[in-house]
Amino acid sequence: MSHLHIPDGVLPPLLWAPGLALALALLAWTGRAAGRGAPKVIAYQGALGGLMLATMSLPIPIFALEYCLTLAGTVGVLLGPAASFPVVFVVSVILALLGQGGLTVVGLNALVLGAGAAVARPVYVRLAARRGQAAALALATAAAQTVSGLTWFALLALALSMSPGAPLAIAHGQAGPKLFAGITLAMWVVAIAIESAVAFGIGRFLARVRPDLLPPAVARAAAPATVSAPGIAP
Amino acid sequence: MINTIAQIDFVASAGRSPWHRASALPKLVLAGGAVGLAVFAPGLKLQLALYAMGWLVALTSLLPLRLLAAAAGYPLLFSVLYIALRWDGSVEGALSIALRPLTASLFAVWLVGTTPYPDLFAPISLVLPRAAGDGLFLTYRALFELLVRTQRLFRAFRLRAAESLPVRRRLPLAGEGLATLVLYGFERSQRMYSILMLRGHAGRICGCRHYAEWTRADLWVVLGAAAVAAAGVLLWRSP
Repeated sequence: MSHLHIPDGVLPPLLWAPGLALALALLAWTGRAAGRGAPKVIAYQGALGGLMLATMSLPIPIFALEYCLTLAGTVGVLLGPAASFPVVFVVSVILALLGQGGLTVVGLNALVLGAGAAVARPVYVRLAARRGQAAALALATAAAQTVSGLTWFALLALALSMSPGAPLAIAHGQAGPKLFAGITLAMWVVAIAIESAVAFGIGRFLARVRPDLLPPAVARAAAPATVSAPGIAP
Repeated sequence: MINTIAQIDFVASAGRSPWHRASALPKLVLAGGAVGLAVFAPGLKLQLALYAMGWLVALTSLLPLRLLAAAAGYPLLFSVLYIALRWDGSVEGALSIALRPLTASLFAVWLVGTTPYPDLFAPISLVLPRAAGDGLFLTYRALFELLVRTQRLFRAFRLRAAESLPVRRRLPLAGEGLATLVLYGFERSQRMYSILMLRGHAGRICGCRHYAEWTRADLWVVLGAAAVAAAGVLLWRSP
C-alpha cells in the first residue's frame, strides 16, 4: 500500500504544504546526520535508491491486481533511519517526474515511505540477536510496511475529514466505500506478507555472504555481543 | 514500468521536437506553474483548459502515444479510490478531482520526456540539500544498470520454473536474488566512491550547466507559459 503514491491535486494544500515543509526540514536534518560518512554513504544511498526504483518496476501479480515491492524496510535496516530518508525522498522525486505520484505531494509520499524505513532498523537491532538476522529483517520489514500503511491511511482519512462537505463515506455505511476499504485492507495485509517474505530471503543471503552489511544486533545482556561489524551504514 | 522509464529516458535525449531543443529551466518553470495552477484551480473550466494544454504540449513533443497514456493515466488509480470515498453523486465534483492529477501528470511527463536527466536534475539539485541533490544523479545512474539486472534476474527465475514453487518458497528465493543486487549495489557504490575521490570530489556533484542556456526554441516555452497564464487570468473566476 505504501507504493500507491498520492498524485497531485487530490489532497488539500493544508495537508500537502506542511507535509512538504516537514519533509524538507527532515531532509536537511537527516542530510547533515548522514553526511558524516559522505560521499561513501551517498554512493551507497544512490545504489539502494536505484534498487528500490528497479524493484518497484516489477509487478508481482496478486489475484486480479498487481503489487510492486518497495524495499523500504530493507533499505531502512541497511542504511538506518537518518540515511534512508534522503533515499526515499529522491525515489519519490524521480517517481513524480515519471508521472507516478505528484510533484506537490513529494513530501507526503516521502514521509509515508520514510516513516516505515525509520522504524525498520530499531526493530531489527532489537530482534536480530534472539531471532536471527533473516527473521529479524523480515519482522523489521513487516513493521516498516505496517507503519507506512498506517501513515497512508491516516493521510487519506485526514484529507477526507478536511474536505468541506465530504464526510467519511465509510462512517456513513455506504456499501461502495466499505467494499473499497475491505479490498484495500486485504491487499495491505498481503503486501506486508510479500515484503516480509522477500526481506527474509534478502536477510538469509546477506547473513551468509556479507553479514557486515547488516547492522549489529543489540544484545539482551550487558555483554557487547554483536552479530557482525557494521558496513558503511551510519 | 520498466519500459516506461527506459522509453522516457530514451526519447528525452533522442527526441527531435522544438520542446527537446528548449532549455531545461524555462520548461521547469512552465511545468511547475501549470501544475501549481492545476492544483489550485477553483473551477472546472480552468481545469479543462489546463488539461487540454497538457495534452497539446505532450502530443507536440512527439512522445509515443502508448507511453503518454501509460504515464498520464497512472494517477487515475488513486483518484478513483478518492472519488469513491468522496462520492456525492456529482459528476462535476468527480471530474474536478480526476482532472487535477491527470493534468499535473501530463505536464510532468512532458517535462521529463523532453529534457535529458542531467539538465533536469541540475537546477533541482541546487535547491535541495546536498545528500538529496547528489542522490538524484547517483540514483538515476544506478537505476538503469539495476533495472537490466533486475529484469534478467526475474527472467532467470521464470526460465528455471521458479513460478511453479509454492509462494512461501518463491518469495524468499526472489529475496535472495534481490540480495545479490544489494551486494552489487554496494560494490558499485564503493567503485563510485573511489571515482569521486579520484576526480577530486569537493562536496557536491555538479550537473551540467546547459539547463539555463537560452535557445530560439525557448520561445515556444514562453508562448506556452503565456497561454497557461492567460487561461489562469481569464478562467479563474469561471465555475
